[in-house]
Amino acid sequence: MDIQTTGLSRRFGKVTALHSVDLSVPGGMYGLLGANGAGKTTLMRILAGVLPPGGGEVRVGGHDLTTGAGRTAVQRRLGYLPQDLGLYPDLTPREFLDYVGLLKGLDDTRARRQQVDELLELVALSEVAGRRMKGFSGGMRRRVGIAQALLGDPALIVVDEPTAGLDPEERVRFRSLLAGLAGHRTVLLSTHIVEDVAQTCQHAAVMAGGRVVYTGTVPDLVRMGEGATWEVVTTTGAPPPVGVVVSAISRTDGTHYRVISSTAPGAHAVPAAPSLEDGYVALMQRAPAQ
Amino acid sequence: MSELLAVGRYEFRMQVRKRSLWLAMLLLAAVIALTQGDRGPRYTEAGAPAREVMAGWALLFGIVVPIGFGMVLADRLVRDRRLGTTALLESLPVGPRVLLAGKYLGGLASSALPGLLAMLVAGGYETVHRGDPLMLAWAVLAFGLIMLPGLAFVAGFALVSPLVISAPLFRVLFVGYWFWGNMLPPEFLPSLSGTLLSPIGDYPVSWLIGETALYAGVPGWLSFLRPAPSGVSVLVSVVLLVLVGLLPLVVAGTVFSRQRRTA
Amino acid sequence: MPTHRLPLWRYESRRAGWAARAAPPAALLVTLVMALLTASGGAGHDQVGQLLLTGLEAILPLAVGMAAVTIVARDGCRELQLSLPARYAGTLGRRLGVLALVGAACAVAFTAGVWLSGWWAGPNILASPLVWAPPMLWLTGLTVLLGMLGRSVVLATSVVSALWLGEQLFAGSFVALDWTRPFFLFTTSRVGVGEGWLTNRLALVGSGLLFVAVVVLLLRRPHLLLTEEEE
Repeated sequence: MDIQTTGLSRRFGKVTALHSVDLSVPGGMYGLLGANGAGKTTLMRILAGVLPPGGGEVRVGGHDLTTGAGRTAVQRRLGYLPQDLGLYPDLTPREFLDYVGLLKGLDDTRARRQQVDELLELVALSEVAGRRMKGFSGGMRRRVGIAQALLGDPALIVVDEPTAGLDPEERVRFRSLLAGLAGHRTVLLSTHIVEDVAQTCQHAAVMAGGRVVYTGTVPDLVRMGEGATWEVVTTTGAPPPVGVVVSAISRTDGTHYRVISSTAPGAHAVPAAPSLEDGYVALMQRAPAQ
Repeated sequence: MSELLAVGRYEFRMQVRKRSLWLAMLLLAAVIALTQGDRGPRYTEAGAPAREVMAGWALLFGIVVPIGFGMVLADRLVRDRRLGTTALLESLPVGPRVLLAGKYLGGLASSALPGLLAMLVAGGYETVHRGDPLMLAWAVLAFGLIMLPGLAFVAGFALVSPLVISAPLFRVLFVGYWFWGNMLPPEFLPSLSGTLLSPIGDYPVSWLIGETALYAGVPGWLSFLRPAPSGVSVLVSVVLLVLVGLLPLVVAGTVFSRQRRTA
Repeated sequence: MPTHRLPLWRYESRRAGWAARAAPPAALLVTLVMALLTASGGAGHDQVGQLLLTGLEAILPLAVGMAAVTIVARDGCRELQLSLPARYAGTLGRRLGVLALVGAACAVAFTAGVWLSGWWAGPNILASPLVWAPPMLWLTGLTVLLGMLGRSVVLATSVVSALWLGEQLFAGSFVALDWTRPFFLFTTSRVGVGEGWLTNRLALVGSGLLFVAVVVLLLRRPHLLLTEEEE
């Protein structure tokens, strides 16, 4: 299920959250990177039919999201995991999924219950399926969230910051789960955690200040850091005077800095092979000021 | 002490920024001031002393302003649970009693502010209208003697009761109570109206204007709480209202402390 | 209603919350206690009957209105709900429907009890729903409308409570004016079932439906509910 936006914009009072966004998302797993406040959540909400677009065009699977009929048609084939997923604490995961299934139009009781049980198994929540969700950990809540998104076998899955606040083990498990879903679907993963995209996506877009500043493959985004990634060792402890420090490790011979800078940040700076994070930071340095 | 003041100060700041607090209470005050009914302060005779005129205004505002006050405070402690700040507050080295007391003081101060403002506006109007400069001073005095004790009484119950019976249920019962406990004629059915525990300020107003304002001292249920209005009975009424208003806080503070110890 | 939708109603009943389900019976219970107190204080038959009628016409509608605004104002899963193909207006409608059903069931049971025990002071028993249904529709419609417009439970409940209290205290003024009389909420208990009673009931139903219609119109843009409620 492909996504096409042309000149998409959205304002909230005097604040413009999206400035003429042009984006083309093919099938498979697609990453959307950007700092907090870059406009990712607004874009996700529009794609999920939660917010109407302010201007421009949005087509998902050929359906026009600026019309009510188009929104409903997309929502019938959509799984959405919002950034702040509030669960109803008095329900058990099984009841919650059953309820969402009913609202998704899964009216065949037996088929719906079977699907609920399968999804609970998939997200490893079968053992607590009958326990009320009040008191569930962040990871368990996220897993309930992804299970509800998968109800009805959606063709498009939109997940907004799904790994924020999870411990490393939960994050890895969650990433693998998402990557496994992308086979015959479109999975749009919005995050500010670069590592999540590095580990799961082939294609990505980067947003800054409500604009899309990069679309392309993840390896190309890594290459944005080539010639701009440096390692510098200082004995004074002070960071290099130019560039953006992406890491600093104190060792016996001094402090090892990893710096993103278009010019060498010191006489003894050594070029380094960039990671996705380095490419992302280099891109952000070059992006026009908002 | 500094902890109590800090909690109170920030509760005050949070509340006083609430648009709905000002909108609700000033809207109610404006509507009641403009309509007044047939016994409002606008009908006080031309040469009436400032004490009498401003006591009339305090009684008039006392009919509806505490409604907004109760509605605002009904959410305060429930809200901490909803927003997930309870755990954060419990992790601080401040005891639950201090937290509760700070929230009570801050909530009372901030929510009373629109009431004081309404009295000052009325006092300003009467100063110009009647040409008596004492009106503004009596506006403040009447607020302190008539409205504030009642608000302190309401604040204690409005903060704590919703934790037990939920905010929506409290709001319904509170409106019913306000009518029953203040304005229902005592001869109609057993009620607290006209007693020392009537938070609308029946006793202070009756004392200040020299006649029965609503039902203060009128014979009825719980006759020992219905002395004739006088300086002493006003003092007893004010002290009783403040102390009874603190009761729910004492109970809640004890429960919270015990919960924290056993957690 | 198709049977496969029944579980959905069960879930929405739970979403309405226990406070909403408890508010109508609690309001009538308070009325009963007050009536008992009045009767034990030596009040006459008419006075007790009047009080029971007040519970039905005034206290019950207030309770339903207050509960309704809380249902509409708070939903922990609102963003997810808006991404689902089921219309959110329908979801809220089911929740409010549960509340209305509980309110109506309590009112009918209360009326039947009062009538059978000989304390009924209202109109013909067949017209008894007109005692509680119009003010309930009117107060609920107005509270929900104010709650949606102001995005504040405090504002909505304060204004409606003050209006309720104002109509109780200044009943004479409301009845005396030609333009306020048709919209006076407590005509049955404060004025009686006489000339103009039916007109008053119909005017309340008409204006109440108008409030509901505006609420439905506002719910066509449900994303407006995503703006944070003022805490």
